[in-house]
Amino acid sequence: MTAMRVDAKVVMLGKESVGKTSLVERYVHHRFLVGPYQNTIGAAFVAKSINVGDKVITLGIWDTAGSERYEAMSRIYYRGARAAIVCYDLTDNSSFQRARFWVKELQTFEEHCKIYLCGTKNDLVEGDRSARQVDFHDVQDFVEEIGAQHIETSSKTGNNVDALFMKVAEDFSNSAFELLPEEKGVNLDPKKNSYLYTCCHH
Amino acid sequence: MAADVHSKGVTWDTPNGNLAPVEHLPNSRSESPTPGLVEGTEPGAGQERAMFVHTQSFEDLTADVELTGSRPSETEEVEEKEQQREGEGGGGADTVDEPRQDVQAIVREKEEDVTSETWRSHKKHVFVLSEAGKPIYTRYGSEEALSTTMGVMMALVSFVEADKNVILSIHADGFRVVFLRKSPLVLVCVSRSGQSDGELWRELHYVYYQILSLLTLPQLQRVFQQRQSFDLRRLLAGSERVTAGLLRLLETDAGLMLNATMSLPLCSTTRNIVCTSLQAASSKNLVFSILLAGNRLVALIRKKEQHLHHTDLHLLSNLASSSSSFRQGEGWTPVCLPKFNASGFFHAHISYLEPSSDLCLMLVSTDREDFFNLSDCKQRFLERLKKRNAYQALKEALHSPTYPVSQVGIPELWHFVYKSKSSGLYTSPELPVPYRTEEEQERLMELYQYLHSRLHHPTRPLRSIYRCTNTENLLAWSTSGFELYLCFSPLATKALAMSAVTKLLKWIRKEEDRLFILNSLTY
Ligand SMILES: Nc1nc2c(ncn2[C@@H]2O[C@H](COP(=O)(O)OP(=O)(O)O)[C@@H](O)[C@H]2O)c(=O)[nH]1
Ligand SMILES: [Mg+2]
Repeated sequence: MTAMRVDAKVVMLGKESVGKTSLVERYVHHRFLVGPYQNTIGAAFVAKSINVGDKVITLGIWDTAGSERYEAMSRIYYRGARAAIVCYDLTDNSSFQRARFWVKELQTFEEHCKIYLCGTKNDLVEGDRSARQVDFHDVQDFVEEIGAQHIETSSKTGNNVDALFMKVAEDFSNSAFELLPEEKGVNLDPKKNSYLYTCCHH
Repeated sequence: MAADVHSKGVTWDTPNGNLAPVEHLPNSRSESPTPGLVEGTEPGAGQERAMFVHTQSFEDLTADVELTGSRPSETEEVEEKEQQREGEGGGGADTVDEPRQDVQAIVREKEEDVTSETWRSHKKHVFVLSEAGKPIYTRYGSEEALSTTMGVMMALVSFVEADKNVILSIHADGFRVVFLRKSPLVLVCVSRSGQSDGELWRELHYVYYQILSLLTLPQLQRVFQQRQSFDLRRLLAGSERVTAGLLRLLETDAGLMLNATMSLPLCSTTRNIVCTSLQAASSKNLVFSILLAGNRLVALIRKKEQHLHHTDLHLLSNLASSSSSFRQGEGWTPVCLPKFNASGFFHAHISYLEPSSDLCLMLVSTDREDFFNLSDCKQRFLERLKKRNAYQALKEALHSPTYPVSQVGIPELWHFVYKSKSSGLYTSPELPVPYRTEEEQERLMELYQYLHSRLHHPTRPLRSIYRCTNTENLLAWSTSGFELYLCFSPLATKALAMSAVTKLLKWIRKEEDRLFILNSLTY
């Protein structure tokens, strides 16, 4: 058997076209695809191993579509996630409102999921400050209130992308053992995971 | 907002017990004028079982349109000689220069000014609207800009319906406007292509099924029951490329017209290994395992007693090719197979065997939690293929996904399309030089569609038709076992065409285990 070993499930959430797929592409394949927008259909899964100290942690990343059509399905994508990267586009205020929706959703259903708010397309606001529609400090206040993390990235330049996923892996590595004392890594078979989830709960 | 759309009782799964009923496979073999070519024995016929739902041809798609009049039992043969046909079929000379429908073009088309001459001159418009007259989809231009136009269309539909009639089509001055009423939707096609109403209905059906495959019928009905003025674009957001790809496919792939699928030519040893390896990589809730090379079928394994419908396969293959997201990693998406069962979602694992490969594997399951099981199936399939040294052979076969018509050895034969009715597969050589440009390719497709609509005319079907134009001579022939369309040089005679059929059938028979998939495996 070649069952996929995944230590931590990470889910990408956020409005369509904020740059979730580009973040994953940059992190996993070290590239930025130009050309017409390609909608993600359903969700795309990719596993990536990362060294944290002397440990190797495999992140199982779920890149979701973010479209309303699949909203009722989104729980199957984020259930049991240990980290959620909730993306918003720094040049689009409505995308931040959408990010708040996802945060609420996660707070309600996924208590053990760490939230990382990620402001994307940083390169666009670097060149032209007037393009920025989401204030850094406003997000910072929000993030402190909900106990989440906050970062601004650019998949185009690569700025902060590795740092984001590294942070996710480190946080997981630090928390993994306190949460699941006798389990070395979680086989993220969704079924097993929902079982784990309930035993942590009750 | 969003929550109230989805909250109540959405059937996200097609439960196992709820799979579509098995459709009856043909067991009565009708008399055929050609000995040895009755259904089931024609070249390319599958052995024992069929893998597809058996479809007559396009009437299966339009059966619910209620074309008036019944089929007379006698069929006739027709010979046509025309120098210049107007409107129908032969409109090659005056076709408009359509922009290439590549990705860039799709983006541009959406931004097109709907009052411009370019917008008006498109050969085929497709509109989808709600019964409240709200725009849902337009092939060219933006939906917003067309809300008045769509309002008028709906008014027209309602006006006729008020009299307990149904508007089917309007013919005027080189145009055809065809309506398809599929409550809660209305689909309209405005065409200058010269295609028959039947062909245009078939295309509108495809667009309708495309929408169902994204939403399921119950969900579609529910949103409009809850609010008549619901803006369906909200739920279809992001599917524009899928629909654009489908409309393109309808213009270029004979399989959508024939209700058939083309298989990738592959030597039988390799095909057998591919099929058995895929068969072995099974999982409890798998219903279909489909290996595609572009839109060519390499292998299809089914759950026992379950048959795939061509329409559903074309929708799946179009879905896979319309987003690069399946190349990024392993895709996992709900998908409804509307001809199989319009009321629920399957869950499809879609991925390429290698990042830059054309080989796309689709594993269709009833269980939404099946992702890792299916991911594992894919790994086992790949390992087995490699262990049995078939992977390399398979990759090499992709270098020649088609064959030149010269292999048949009939100099006057330029091109043909042959469908084996019992296997539901068709074969066709690559397009020869005169048909390499996009316009010429479309023109040839339109000629075939014309012949097809004559063979399958709802009230006066034909068994064969021979047609001469300035640029080519065409022969179409339908028996209980096969359907054949041939395109000859204009110098060919009818006698030559008839003898070519025999020669071609012999050639296909000789090559059938390479050109077709002869055994249909189940898990
Ligand atoms: N300038 C810039 N454009 C970006 C960046 N990330 C994504 N984009 C563009 O934003 C669009 C949507 O990106 P995508 O990753 O597909 O968004 P998704 O729908 O959230 O997956 C694409 O056209 C990308 O090229 C970025 O960091 N900088
Ligand atoms: Mg995406």
